[in-house]
Amino acid sequence: MTGRLFQLPLLGRPQRTLRVARPHAPPRTPGKTPRAGRLPPLWYAIALPQLLGIPDAQIREEKLALLAQRLGQLSGTVSVEAPDSLVFEARSSLRYFGGIHSLRTHCRQLLQPLLSEWGLPVDFHQAASPTPAASLLLARAGCNLLVHRRENLRSALGRLSVQSLTLPQQRRQQLHNSGLRLLRDVWRLPAHALGQRFGTQFLRQLDQCLGHVATPVKAYESPPRFNSSLEFDYAVEGCERLLPAIEELLERLCAFLRARDLSTLHLQLSLQHEAQAPTLIALDMRHPGQSRAPLQLLLETRLSTLTLPAPVCGMQLEAWRFKAASAGTQPLAGLSAAEGAAAQSGPARIAPLLGLLQARLGDAAVHSLQCQADHCPELAASPTPGHEQSHPHPALALQARRPCWLLPAPVQLQQHAGQLLYRGPLQLLSGPERIETRWWSGQEVCRDYYVATNPRGMRLWIFHEREGERRWFVHGIFD
Amino acid sequence: MEIITPLWGIGELQLVLPLLRQLSQQGGNSVWFAPPCSPYAPALLASGIDPAHLYVVSAPAAQLLWGIEKALQDTACALVLAWPGRVSHRQIRRLQLAASAGNTLGILFHHGALRQSTAALRLRVEATRQGLRVEVLKARGSYRQSTVALARSAP
Repeated sequence: MTGRLFQLPLLGRPQRTLRVARPHAPPRTPGKTPRAGRLPPLWYAIALPQLLGIPDAQIREEKLALLAQRLGQLSGTVSVEAPDSLVFEARSSLRYFGGIHSLRTHCRQLLQPLLSEWGLPVDFHQAASPTPAASLLLARAGCNLLVHRRENLRSALGRLSVQSLTLPQQRRQQLHNSGLRLLRDVWRLPAHALGQRFGTQFLRQLDQCLGHVATPVKAYESPPRFNSSLEFDYAVEGCERLLPAIEELLERLCAFLRARDLSTLHLQLSLQHEAQAPTLIALDMRHPGQSRAPLQLLLETRLSTLTLPAPVCGMQLEAWRFKAASAGTQPLAGLSAAEGAAAQSGPARIAPLLGLLQARLGDAAVHSLQCQADHCPELAASPTPGHEQSHPHPALALQARRPCWLLPAPVQLQQHAGQLLYRGPLQLLSGPERIETRWWSGQEVCRDYYVATNPRGMRLWIFHEREGERRWFVHGIFD
Repeated sequence: MEIITPLWGIGELQLVLPLLRQLSQQGGNSVWFAPPCSPYAPALLASGIDPAHLYVVSAPAAQLLWGIEKALQDTACALVLAWPGRVSHRQIRRLQLAASAGNTLGILFHHGALRQSTAALRLRVEATRQGLRVEVLKARGSYRQSTVALARSAP
């Protein structure tokens, strides 16, 4: 009934063999030879129980997606089965890879480097059968089995525990109480009674395993990535002569975006040189772009600040983070374009200008201001980098006045004969306002704030340390 | 328009705070170029200015005037405050043309070495013991050169 076929590395038990459930060939009707096209599909399941050790479900899914991308080299249909498994259709690629043995070797060679890179055990369970549900069940149960024919599924699955099915806890208990331990026991019962006793979900799973009911398989699609390059016949010097090529690459990108109804938030243009490392231009945008003109304006602005180290012999444009395109707001019919633009809200209107400034001056050049609910004066305001969306925080309602300018770091005040000096002797106007906070963070703030003025008319926000060296600092300027 | 002060922080921001407050109520954007320190958001919020419509741009001096010009030309930006350091009267003229193209109010703060400029309004601000003395050096369409004394708001 079973024959030894090949060794499979197994998690924890590396010496186990993969058995092939292959009974004697069924009697063939004379004159009817099975054609290759009519062979049932073969679903190859891979179970990675080591992934279950990762607590974060999102990281687990990312890792599974990366593995699924690798398996895309073996089959056109790869499906991610959360939380720990992958299934792919192997029948269509068997001949190309030269049989199931060689497919298995390829599979191991593809997945093991990735697993060892993540520091996980490199062994995994695998099983193949004509239905994806049965393959998954076998692989997850650690039963490394290859089942070629649908008729043999019942005997191959029979030795699995009923607990390996995905069922609610109540149903599991019910099965256990009924004395049903293995699937073999279930199949001994009359089929019509099973649905009544254990519910249609249970019956459906069994039917899916045996191939009586088709299992829907959602093929994994790798995330879109745009990559297009141009090579020049001769090296080009000077940024302005690159512009037609950039225009063409952007045109390709926009066609790509339009076809998928996406918009991009960043671009990376690499300019290739003859003998040097390529010049990389990374562009982060404040608002997603889908049409060519604004993208081109941003790239041209960035290029105009650049000096090229060498003539350019080719260029490559890449983008890999996308957002769903939003149509944006259109002006009402009857309004002119200027009136329509004026009707838009403030932040949306100014985004192109800020994007342009950012493209030329660098990503760090544009800030917006934010309030944080914090008593510590430095932490109550945080400049947010331009490309992040600002989320308004509730600010603390302050009783005392705060200065309009805050120095980047407090400046220590000079003292002369007990008189504080900052561009002249200081005179205290009001205070103190005591601020004591952040004692929990190890950087305790314990200060008395005063408002002071100097002879030149500046009003300053100064503070006196209440602990340590009891120094005086100027922290802000009023207006 | 230009505001000329001998020193930053003597109260010149008092002159633009009411304008900012009004702008904030209308939801207009303002862009600040290279301010001497970073504006402090809680203080602005306390004076009725929503910091969400306010953007701060820092740039090297060589790129700053380009940025100011772009912002002035843009109709989405209602107010530009800039601390450009040294500017020549030709640059001021160019910025003025940009401001009229974008219908934007631009305010330049500097220490004022220029004897004359084409700005529509030039104010010289000095601190006194009681408050501010604002001298109108030039107002387009008016010959009057007056001086206004402003009392300080209570700290």
